[in-house]
Amino acid sequence: MPRDAARRLRRSRSSHRLGQNAGLILVCLLLAACILGYCAIFHVSQQRFPGSFELTSTVNNTMPLAMAALGQTIVVVTRGLDLSVGGIIDLTNAIAAVAMGESAASMVGWTVAVLAIGAGLGLINGLLVGVGRLQPILVTLATLSIFQGLAIWVLPQPGGAIPPAYSDVLANGDYPVSLFYVVLAALLWHAFRRSALGVAIFAIGNDEQAAAANGIRLVRTKILAYVLGGMFAAAGGLFLAATATAGDATTGNGYTLTSIVAVVLGGVSLFGGRGSATGSLLGAFVITMIVNLLFFAHIDPLYQAFYEGLFLIIAVIASTGVGSYFRRRG
Amino acid sequence: MKKSMGRFFTQERRRILYAYAAAVLLFLGGEAVRPGFASVASIEAVLVVATFVGIVAAGQTFVILIGGIDLSVPWVLNGAAILLVTASLGQDARAPYALALTLGMGAAVGLLNGVGVALLGIPAVVMTLAMNGIMEGLTLGLSGGLTCTACASYAPPLVQAAIHGNLLGVPHALYLWLAVILLVSFVLSFTAFGRSAYAIGNNLRASYLAGVSVTATTIALYTLSGLFSALSGIMLVGFGGQASLGMGDPYLFQSIAAVVIGGVYILGGRGHYLGSVAGAISLVALVSVLLAMNMPDYGRSIIYGVIILVLLLLYGREESRY
Repeated sequence: MPRDAARRLRRSRSSHRLGQNAGLILVCLLLAACILGYCAIFHVSQQRFPGSFELTSTVNNTMPLAMAALGQTIVVVTRGLDLSVGGIIDLTNAIAAVAMGESAASMVGWTVAVLAIGAGLGLINGLLVGVGRLQPILVTLATLSIFQGLAIWVLPQPGGAIPPAYSDVLANGDYPVSLFYVVLAALLWHAFRRSALGVAIFAIGNDEQAAAANGIRLVRTKILAYVLGGMFAAAGGLFLAATATAGDATTGNGYTLTSIVAVVLGGVSLFGGRGSATGSLLGAFVITMIVNLLFFAHIDPLYQAFYEGLFLIIAVIASTGVGSYFRRRG
Repeated sequence: MKKSMGRFFTQERRRILYAYAAAVLLFLGGEAVRPGFASVASIEAVLVVATFVGIVAAGQTFVILIGGIDLSVPWVLNGAAILLVTASLGQDARAPYALALTLGMGAAVGLLNGVGVALLGIPAVVMTLAMNGIMEGLTLGLSGGLTCTACASYAPPLVQAAIHGNLLGVPHALYLWLAVILLVSFVLSFTAFGRSAYAIGNNLRASYLAGVSVTATTIALYTLSGLFSALSGIMLVGFGGQASLGMGDPYLFQSIAAVVIGGVYILGGRGHYLGSVAGAISLVALVSVLLAMNMPDYGRSIIYGVIILVLLLLYGREESRY
């Protein structure tokens, strides 16, 4: 009898784990399907399989979005939403393109400075949401407008320059060096998830009142979540500048929508408290793969926003559907 | 007597008055910066521009009253403008068909938003943001990035005249806006539909239990928002003559700003379209003052953001709960 009970317990635990990670499993399957489809369509049109060059360019193209999605995840887990991601990428991208010099000291110094600026922009969002007790959507919509304005003030015309050495480090065109950053980001997330701040962020997203009752400092945690969100968006701006080797104060705009799509595809709940940045990183790759697929399927790139919007809606419906299915069973 | 005065000037009504006072102050300030700013002709010009914002803000007010938001405004508006010129090819004979098609498109997009929010349980921000992307992709894709031959057509003269014409010295556009104001105010204040919108915004569960048809009302409100965006797109293309890409972009931000300036509570349940009207007027007056001061584009977008934040801090704060 006890063995039977133990087995039942074990079964329910594994099914519980399945339910908890349903989003992650779903995005892995989706990515696998995208890669298979991409290889097939690539083989048909090019008579060979994609190689190192295709891998490198895919990873390099995904990095800005992967970073933005990472930052977005942290904010979404607190039950917030950061619409200013696009503005932060615009502004940090413009600053990097204008300021960065050829010397190593300048490159390192400006990398740190740009990340600090991103954190500072996130701090503004965090203070308004946490201390100001304002709606995250409206705060970040307003700061989006401010940051976009500042970006155009910094860099009125597309231009500036990123030193080639910097591009080689962040977005090397010959080898898929960027994969290293993806793995690093995933590892950092797993450490963060178990840190005091990580636990506090999830607690707030699940139940603000219970979190406060258990001694979690709501205001401080929310502010830090937005600071981290801003910093990762700034990292996205740096990767974007490194890939493009120049700056443009408007190319970041699209990342607001796509970062949210990546987060939702990655199985992070928009109602807070559930999900993982690993899923969001994979979600970012799914989006790039879909864009690649559309390209090889000869679909006009003008339709790109249409497919992004459509996939966002499908992903939200699928993730809420799958989530509630597993929870009902578990 | 004094007591009844106090009851009449509730906090919400005071905010609406503040918004109108702000508009008057801005006209006076503009007169100081550039003499002639507060002349009748100049005020009329500002009001006509405010019409486009004000009509989008009508839809935005509806959805914000139930605690939602409509982020699909920019490309519904832009898509409507392009659809009107491509469907009418600039011919009066085709104008009625083009108008019906365009308004139908706006209503259909709004309906989809409403279905997504009310039936599928998708958060309004995500649903309408996705819909904005869908409309952007469709508009760009179907018009080939506005390179199609029909895209260069002008708005039918009939539509242009309907916006530009004058009646008793007042532009037609203002009569149209007045009609919208009267209609929306009547719906909000004196119909069961309007009252259920307030009820849903105040407490969704309680209004459901009280027998309000939450789903149908929500869908109807989003449909109206799409319809008003399309109407504004039609008026804008009638005003400017031709459609362009990105013409809808400013209207998302301005419509939300107008609603917030007008004292509509952003979490729903409180506020009135009359406030949003004042918000639209003072916002456009402010933009005109900034233009008169030769403020560049980026400066304006910074100032928009700052104004919204300041107003939110003044009266959009949630109560401290813990």
